[in-house]
Amino acid sequence: MIQRLLPFATLVALVVGLAIASPHFLTGPNLSTVIRQTTVINIMALGMTMIIISGGIDLSVGSILALGGFMGTLSLQKGYSIPASIAIGIAAGTMCGLVNGTLITRLKVNPFIVTLGTMGIYRGVTLLISNGLPVHEIPLKFAFLGSGTGIFDIPIVLWILLVCAVAMHVLLEHTRLGRYAFSIGSNPDAAFYAGIPVAFNITSVYAIAGGLTGLSGMIEASRLMSGQPTAGQGYELQAIAAVVIGGGSLRGGEGSVLGTLVGAFIMGLLSDGSDLLGINPYWQQVIIGAVIIVAVWLDELRKRRGVS
Amino acid sequence: MLLELDSIQKRFGGVTALRKGTCTVKAGEVHLLMGENGAGKSTLMKIVAGMISPDAGQVRFRGQPVRFRNPAESAAAGIAMVHQESLLAPHLSVAENIFLGREDRHALGWINRREIEARARRLIERHAFPLQAEALVGKLSPAGKQMVEICRAVQQGSSLLIFDEPTSSLTDSETREVFRIVQELRLREVGVIYITHRLEELRSIGDRVTVLRDGETVHSCMLCELTTDQLIQHMVGRAVNSLYRREPLPPGAEMLRVKGLTCEPLLHDISFTLHAGEIVGMAGLIGAGRTELCRALFGIDRMDSGEVQVDGKTVRIRSPRDAVRAGIALVPEDRQKTGLAIDLAIAPNITMASLRSVSNMGFLNLRSERLLTSEHGTRLRLKYDGPSQLARRLSGGNQQKVVIAKWLATNARVILFDEPTRGIDVGAKMEVFETMDQLARAGAAILMMSSEMAEVQSVADRILVMRQGRLAGELPRGASQEDILRLAAFEEKVAQ
Repeated sequence: MIQRLLPFATLVALVVGLAIASPHFLTGPNLSTVIRQTTVINIMALGMTMIIISGGIDLSVGSILALGGFMGTLSLQKGYSIPASIAIGIAAGTMCGLVNGTLITRLKVNPFIVTLGTMGIYRGVTLLISNGLPVHEIPLKFAFLGSGTGIFDIPIVLWILLVCAVAMHVLLEHTRLGRYAFSIGSNPDAAFYAGIPVAFNITSVYAIAGGLTGLSGMIEASRLMSGQPTAGQGYELQAIAAVVIGGGSLRGGEGSVLGTLVGAFIMGLLSDGSDLLGINPYWQQVIIGAVIIVAVWLDELRKRRGVS
Repeated sequence: MLLELDSIQKRFGGVTALRKGTCTVKAGEVHLLMGENGAGKSTLMKIVAGMISPDAGQVRFRGQPVRFRNPAESAAAGIAMVHQESLLAPHLSVAENIFLGREDRHALGWINRREIEARARRLIERHAFPLQAEALVGKLSPAGKQMVEICRAVQQGSSLLIFDEPTSSLTDSETREVFRIVQELRLREVGVIYITHRLEELRSIGDRVTVLRDGETVHSCMLCELTTDQLIQHMVGRAVNSLYRREPLPPGAEMLRVKGLTCEPLLHDISFTLHAGEIVGMAGLIGAGRTELCRALFGIDRMDSGEVQVDGKTVRIRSPRDAVRAGIALVPEDRQKTGLAIDLAIAPNITMASLRSVSNMGFLNLRSERLLTSEHGTRLRLKYDGPSQLARRLSGGNQQKVVIAKWLATNARVILFDEPTRGIDVGAKMEVFETMDQLARAGAAILMMSSEMAEVQSVADRILVMRQGRLAGELPRGASQEDILRLAAFEEKVAQ
């Protein structure tokens, strides 16, 4: 139990340590920067949590983020309303996820390989449509999504994250789809033998994750106030890392929304803390890499002790 | 004394697997290790083989206190173990597996494949095993893998050999070969520890016996001093009749009709019926097609032709989903691989096939799920801590009950049991039979595939016998083992 709480303890220790080490840490502007920076990865990681629980993986989310963000901003440029454009960004992401899920279940090819392929395909398609050029003609009001503040002066992105997190938690723990994701991830053969429609559920999981990634793409576009076809490169690994630090298992059947949130914030704080303390940014990569390995190692130790 | 185990203790997290494991083995004796599943036999042997380390107690080997940190250390000391679940590399050949980790190498680390294959071939010939040195282990049957494990253990020239249920997946002639090897080892003054559940095979090989119960050694003596019933009593801690007797019911309405089921190249033109309240046994040798019949009926393999009627209605079964909807259930042979999600809790395992019944518009009702779990838990006398206990933490017999509960929850009317008692202990076996009886009394039609003829004889109302993918015949209740064997193996009724 102590080790299960380790991610939380690490997060608390980081907050306390940084508060002591730097007077700038516990200030409104700094905290809202951390939140804004972390949210994009965090929302992607929520979808990734469900995929990893179902025993899969999605390497294409970085490219989906770019495609979703680009399609959304393109719609804004063409004069569509802001809500409609956000919906288009989410729909584009959902479509990408749907394609991932369909390829994985119909072709029966390992998700690592399928999404390695679609990572290149979605990125290439985005670059083809955009001709490599970003979209800049965006109404100024669109900035509210990434930079605005909502009720209680809290960044809108944090509200969005909270809503998505609660929805994902309910989806995983209180719906049939979520339960099937756990069953399939834990033992796909037993799930199939129990008559669970495995292909349908897996496809749904990838589609939902794609939709969340499309939303992240729109938030990223709003923060940058442009639709960048090269956005989100390497984000897939950060999203996977957040899930894994939070106790998700790449063997499937394990993971939680709370763990993923904690994992994403640990990574966000590590990078923010390094900035505040003036640590060489190159070291940040080393530190985060080490944290991932240590987190998974501790999780393995816990499991090994519990199971013969 | 070759091996002395003194008050060994081992805990896994909060679970005590071994309280007081005590046992001594002499050179040149076959020592049986008996006990129900979860009694601690495997844990004790894994400690001897260096796979896990004890929390307390002492292991002495050839009089010296030892503490193995890994299997390589115990192997170097002269201890080898033949595992129940194959621990082989499926992508390597038989020969490579036999010599894995102790290959003769050239100076530069090259492996001499031809030399290894030649040595493997000599070893295989000496034991007259139907194996080919260059075949891939992944393609072998469970029995074949077991033989590779045995070759591997014998080859090391060990002075102590541990067999963990070596014959549970073997045919009779293969079993005889294992016995012959054990005898040969005994003559060579090797100590043998033999774990088994099969009461009928003990007498033909064992010298002494140690019985474990709940992690404690409860009895240790010469085998000839004990009757089989006394042995069972020591194992379960209460008196149990070693043979189950079922009181048959008059059969009710027809529940399942199979007409001309064919699934090339394994199943040919199989027709039979099952009635409500009936338990029909399906006997046959290994490879006769019993598991394949289950797979076809349950929609895992596509059937080429044939018709299936459930409760008078023709159904098309192209996937397990279709089968479940039609009211067919399968308790599969390999519990951990296809029956359970062992890393999930008990409740989600029990409701896995019937989640709709505890959910509304896609949302789960966790309270009714818990109720359903405890209802079936009580009905099947499941020994568990609560609905959120992991299935992994249950003993084999209780895991089997969870699989059965999963199908009870779907209200299936036709239930296929494929080797329902494999790898579970005597007490749990009786309970599985009682459950089958209960299900039949509640109106289900049951088809039980089993390799153990005594089991088919004592449980089934009728016995169907398969041979080489065909139905060889049907025998009434009370048929002798000779009758069954004749149909299963010899009598060629089909005109050539």
